[in-house]
Amino acid sequence: MTKWYQLSGKENDVAISSRVALARNVRGHAFSARLAPEEKEQIAEEVREAIEKELPGKFLVTRMQDLSRDAAISLAERSLVSPEFVSFAEGRTFLMTPDESLSLMICEEDHVKIQAILPGLELEKTYELSDRLDTILDDAVGFSFDPKLGYLTQCPTNIGTAMRASVLLQLPALRILDRVRHLSNTVSRLGLILTGAYGEGDSPAGSLYILTNQVTLGISEEAALQNLSSLALSILEQERDARKELMENLSFQDMLWRSYGTLKTARVLSFREFMEALSVVKIGIAAGDFDVPLNAVNESIFSMQPATLNTEAGTTLSRQERDALRAEKVRELFS
Amino acid sequence: MLCQNCGKNEATTHIKRIVDGESAELHLCSSCAQHLGYSVLFSGFGSNIGGLLSRFFPEAVLPSAAEESERCPGCGASFDEIVRTGMMGCAECYDVFYDRLKPSLSRIHGRATHIGKTGTSVDDRTERRAEIRALEADLKTAVAAEEFEQAAVLRDRLRDLKGETT
Repeated sequence: MTKWYQLSGKENDVAISSRVALARNVRGHAFSARLAPEEKEQIAEEVREAIEKELPGKFLVTRMQDLSRDAAISLAERSLVSPEFVSFAEGRTFLMTPDESLSLMICEEDHVKIQAILPGLELEKTYELSDRLDTILDDAVGFSFDPKLGYLTQCPTNIGTAMRASVLLQLPALRILDRVRHLSNTVSRLGLILTGAYGEGDSPAGSLYILTNQVTLGISEEAALQNLSSLALSILEQERDARKELMENLSFQDMLWRSYGTLKTARVLSFREFMEALSVVKIGIAAGDFDVPLNAVNESIFSMQPATLNTEAGTTLSRQERDALRAEKVRELFS
Repeated sequence: MLCQNCGKNEATTHIKRIVDGESAELHLCSSCAQHLGYSVLFSGFGSNIGGLLSRFFPEAVLPSAAEESERCPGCGASFDEIVRTGMMGCAECYDVFYDRLKPSLSRIHGRATHIGKTGTSVDDRTERRAEIRALEADLKTAVAAEEFEQAAVLRDRLRDLKGETT
């Protein structure tokens, strides 16, 4: 089964993926923090039954307790579950479609978190995907909703649409030119957030950033998605301009070819080193300098992660074994 | 425990993360949390940042003895517990503690009310509660304006509605 991250999407040279998450709570139960594991499993059962009835055979169901540590962490590496969801597995259930584009976390912070992910900048379609499932489940199990406050969530910051939409952006040129900090200040004045995706502060791995909406009450889903989309497009243009600027620069050209050499020849590659080199080389790929398919490069952001490599290898590798396996796979990709 | 970033201040924010294929926890002081972008809470769901949460309720005055004993009939949470954890106990808590939540809610969200998708199966009890809240506000206004006839009508409707709820 082809996964969503193996496909190409719109504006894929900068926008890796679009994600929409909806938080919902099933009526008649206290919120997650007050539930015993048995009651969490009861909610999972209600949701699972509803899904089996309305969308038979569409979802894979996993009790988090039954997963190996590597398999669970691999889910977090692919942004399918939160790190917090992995660390307390008891009573928690995870459902996803085989292509991983639509998933459900049961009894994370809220009873049900519906999440849709698609490649590229595709917020509307991504929302539609999550919205359809939300409507089906609401009809079947009934979600807590108040006409004035909207969807009721465990944490009062999320009420209203209870929707977080985000775009994963790769901004190596803006980071090299030290323009991200200024950008992130501007973004926050517009009521959105720009943060590092892997690692934090000024140097997130692979220059991957997440642009997210912040306001959930008093703004419709449609308007929130539109704001996010137009800001993402504007950041995208800035990144493309910055890439053009860099391509004219000899020191950058040197950095680009050295990074390319690393990916093409290294025998041991840590995840961080791989992501750094990849984000630089991506500028060259987007400019047509290297003949490597963009979607394969974007896929490697997910498939080269540590626990995901372990899961694929079927065993927990030592760090060196893992870094050697990564280097081997990357050489194949760039051969 | 000291902040892992500056090594100077007490760590108050604890964040679950995945680092190099392992589950790890990051301990930060509030100023480093802010500097590293964690003060903007809930940039994604599930970033369950204990400690910072209760900052959403700085206005909450200590409950009086009578209020303290008040617990949500749905889940048994007291307002004090909600303030301490920064988490509501259940959906009904929003109704039961609405008046005391209001200052915090409007500080987080402004004076906004929900627009956007409507739940397909709104609990009619919830709807009735919302109506009660609206009527109570109208009643207050009517009394303040000394429109006592209007107030009497509103009071009767309120009594009917409340009778249905309990």
